[in-house]
Amino acid sequence: MSFDFDIVLRTLPAMLQGLVLTVEIAVWGFVVAVVLGLLVAVLGLARYRTPRWIASAWLALMRGVPLLVFMYWVYYGLPQLTGATIGSFAAAVVALGLTGSAYMGEVFRAGLLAVDPGQQEAADALGLPRSTAFWRVVLPQAARFMVAPSVNVFVGLLKGATIVSVIGVADMLYIAKKVSVQTFTPFELYTTAGLILVVITVAVALLGFVVERRLDRGRVRHA
Amino acid sequence: MREKGFAFDLGVVLAHLPEMLGAFGLSVAVAVAAMALATAAGLLVAVGATSRWRVLVALCFAHIQVFRGVALYVLIIWVYFGLAITLQVNIAPTPAGILTLALLDSAYLAEIFRTGLQKVDRGQREAGAALGLSDGAILWRVVVPQAVRSMIPAIGNQFTDVLKDTSILAVIAVPELMYTSQSLAQQTYRPFEFYTVAGVLFVIGVSVITYAVRVAERRVRRGAVRGVVAPAGVPMVTSVSGREPGEPPRMEDER
Repeated sequence: MSFDFDIVLRTLPAMLQGLVLTVEIAVWGFVVAVVLGLLVAVLGLARYRTPRWIASAWLALMRGVPLLVFMYWVYYGLPQLTGATIGSFAAAVVALGLTGSAYMGEVFRAGLLAVDPGQQEAADALGLPRSTAFWRVVLPQAARFMVAPSVNVFVGLLKGATIVSVIGVADMLYIAKKVSVQTFTPFELYTTAGLILVVITVAVALLGFVVERRLDRGRVRHA
Repeated sequence: MREKGFAFDLGVVLAHLPEMLGAFGLSVAVAVAAMALATAAGLLVAVGATSRWRVLVALCFAHIQVFRGVALYVLIIWVYFGLAITLQVNIAPTPAGILTLALLDSAYLAEIFRTGLQKVDRGQREAGAALGLSDGAILWRVVVPQAVRSMIPAIGNQFTDVLKDTSILAVIAVPELMYTSQSLAQQTYRPFEFYTVAGVLFVIGVSVITYAVRVAERRVRRGAVRGVVAPAGVPMVTSVSGREPGEPPRMEDER
């Protein structure tokens, strides 16, 4: 058994282009997840029962359905219903965003609950409107608690985004597969792809660690 | 060719429901098998990671880091299409899938076990030693039973993740729920129906596990001696007038 470095070097540029696509999908999916997740968290912390019920139903659904099922459902299933086709890139983003929304909802909820209720009370005492208190007082403080878990969610979405080739996105693994079928070098190309992806996820996790430390530095400590 | 418009064809789903349920049975069986293997492996890794031998600790941490960093899809095609073909090992999809799932899962479980073991008060080990118990007895009869209590929610979450991850085994043709849904969707040209049913079955499976975990947690908490387990999921209220009485800050969730 010999490791064919030549084929790796020749395929690497195309694979890296595919990698860019994976990262783009993960980033856009994360954006969708953040927006939906914030909405779910706010509904879940609402005063009334109905929004809270909607939030828990959303969480149960989004956490229960595997990402792969979502991808197929959005890419192959929805067009049957609506009659309009959806691109594989958009379908991947939607599927990742839906799955991520449950995890981000949890992150936001935990972060918001971690803020001292005295802050909300202080805002009330100052006569700030509820929305101002939320956006200007509670959320900025909650953000600190949300960084590390958000990075974890992003890493999860990035790992999830590696399956997009199943709906035909020409990502790194798609190219690795295509070339390895032609040249019969699956071991070389899949190993390369796997190593690159591990390096990226570890790098993102480290980055999150650094950001968290920096945010912590500016923190006012209470006795 | 395809019918358009809002028409959920219940007939075609019902006709193939036995196949779908059978396939879901395989998904559950694969998840249980992977969980069982991973529990054994994860426990060994966790014990190794908390041991006194530095080399062993480093190896166990490496195992945890590497397999928590790898995506299942990448690992499965590496194992099944890369490694197996290169080494000319002929391994059937289902055992290959179970082994790969267990390998990844063992890293997550090891981390759960490790943090759980370390959460147990040192005094418990010391008390065991003072009573003259052997190292093995201290670990298995004193520390592990207490650690298990705090681990139940995390283990439950892990199990739901493994069940969902079985769907990825469709790419190596393990005839579980997702693979079966794909082939039925292609045969009948009804992707919407079959992927919806697949999603619903997974949601049901995950909900059952979540519910079982909550029941187990409650039972264990009842038997806990003197607050060994902090009541999980109950937010600490630091301000007396923090929230209005009719405004409990919680959703139905345990994480």
